Amino acid sequence: MSESVVTNVVVPMNFPYNYRVGQYIETYIRGLGEGKILGIKCPSCGKVMVPPRKICGVCDRVMEEWVEVGPEGTVENYTVGHVRLNLGEVERLDTPVLLALIKLDGADSLLAGEVRGIEPEKLGDGLRVRAVFKDPAGDSLSDLEYFEPEK
Amino acid sequence: MRNVGIIGVGYTPVFVSKRKDVNIAELISEAVDAGFRETNLKPEDIDAFTFGNMQTFEGLNMPHLWASDHIRALDKPIIRISTGGTTGMSTLQAAYYYVASGMYDVVMAVTWEKHSEGDAQVGLSGIIIPEVIAMVQSGMDLAGGRGVGAMGGGSTGTAAYQAMSYLHHSGADPEHIDKMAAMERSNAAKNPYAHLRKETTVEDIQATPFIAWPLRYGHTCPTTDGATVCIVASEEKAAKLADQVAWITGLGACASDPCTGNLIEGQITDPAEQEPCCIASAKALEMAGIEDPKKEIDMCEMYDGFAHQSLMWLEKTGLCEVGEAHKLLDAGELEIEGRIPTNASGGVFSTNAIGTSAMNRPAECALQIMDRVEGGHKIPKKIKNALAHGWGGMFQYVTVMILSDTPRKLYPDGR
Repeated sequence: MSESVVTNVVVPMNFPYNYRVGQYIETYIRGLGEGKILGIKCPSCGKVMVPPRKICGVCDRVMEEWVEVGPEGTVENYTVGHVRLNLGEVERLDTPVLLALIKLDGADSLLAGEVRGIEPEKLGDGLRVRAVFKDPAGDSLSDLEYFEPEK
Repeated sequence: MRNVGIIGVGYTPVFVSKRKDVNIAELISEAVDAGFRETNLKPEDIDAFTFGNMQTFEGLNMPHLWASDHIRALDKPIIRISTGGTTGMSTLQAAYYYVASGMYDVVMAVTWEKHSEGDAQVGLSGIIIPEVIAMVQSGMDLAGGRGVGAMGGGSTGTAAYQAMSYLHHSGADPEHIDKMAAMERSNAAKNPYAHLRKETTVEDIQATPFIAWPLRYGHTCPTTDGATVCIVASEEKAAKLADQVAWITGLGACASDPCTGNLIEGQITDPAEQEPCCIASAKALEMAGIEDPKKEIDMCEMYDGFAHQSLMWLEKTGLCEVGEAHKLLDAGELEIEGRIPTNASGGVFSTNAIGTSAMNRPAECALQIMDRVEGGHKIPKKIKNALAHGWGGMFQYVTVMILSDTPRKLYPDGR
């Protein structure tokens, strides 16, 4: 902090928040730990949403039917990240990361994920990918670690 | 319902990265004072205040109350509005509701941001983290701010998907984003109240590094310190108080599913769908009695945090067909002298004190209609109708306002 203390008042505080994820996401994370991606199906429109959520807003219905989807899917949209945030600070990446919105087989929604093992210029729409899970599992969303091109 | 018009706009003297010479309340007071100077009104002429800035950006929960003396709101009603990026226009819409309802005759809408005293990305996290369920529902691993959502650089990383989808639908090239960026920055160079004021070429934009393909550093907005007020009045009061009035003839606002970026929510898989924009725009245009917006709207001010967005909004608001905006750009029709000048002010893309960003859009339209533009971005034709647009929330809340040179014709039932 190069500013003079006469002109600035710095307020140092560190108070972490602690949010409940809810039963749907809890079940989803447990599934990831077993190498499964779980979605939820709307009883009205029949669409399968991943990650699962309680309400289908369009149909105004509670969703309760669990469905396993993937682990293969198709890239629907992508970007190439040249920076990342680290606790609010921007860091330039030496190697860009490939980020994609993926429609898993059997799902109607998109899941955001990192794709590894392919050159950026080959990361086009329609690329087939497969989920890679963390081993051993760590009971978190990052148990679905990344996606790689389908063999 | 009563007609409502903008009778004055007040800006801080400058919009810059860091106003180290004033504190937050003093910054706000500069715009308030400018509003009084512009209208020759005094604090006792104002019946009520609406007030807006971003949640959490400066870590403040009740700035409207502790700055109430600097706003000249002592002994008056004052309410804070926070709807994310759209805050500025929501604050003006709230002032409209006050006057249209007959509750008050003259209302000042006050907006501000002092980005330099907080951290914008932490501020954005302060919106997203309390909405962590939405983030988690998108399957985004937060991992201490280093997870999937952080890669690609936070908001730019998420907007990149929208830009990809826009390019796909429209047939535009990434070079059109460069061209739009250069045009708006060059417009800003003419506007004394813009932040990034530099004549800019396509080559200048293309020399900046990528953040997240296809978006470069040169495609993103700055963070700005500044404040803006608009004073609105009923038709009866406006006749007594003002020589020039910009009438608010149409309003629209619309939200879709609250999720991270209208991006990966349950059923909407196209980040450039932006249906709330289509709905809000149609509502505002209908209210204003505009049947053919392509012909009847003479200028527009779009909320563009990223340079592809003005093009996308032109299509979503109905000011042109899908796939036509980049052709209008190529034909020069979006320039200050063109058929539909788009962000003559330089847009949010050049000036982003975020609480003011969606207020400066209708404010700039009003100044053009009232012929009170300072600087070289004055549009050289008569403006009868203008469209102002705001975008924000969780990427999925849109506000639209139509401003006109004549009062609105009310519906037969008085609405």
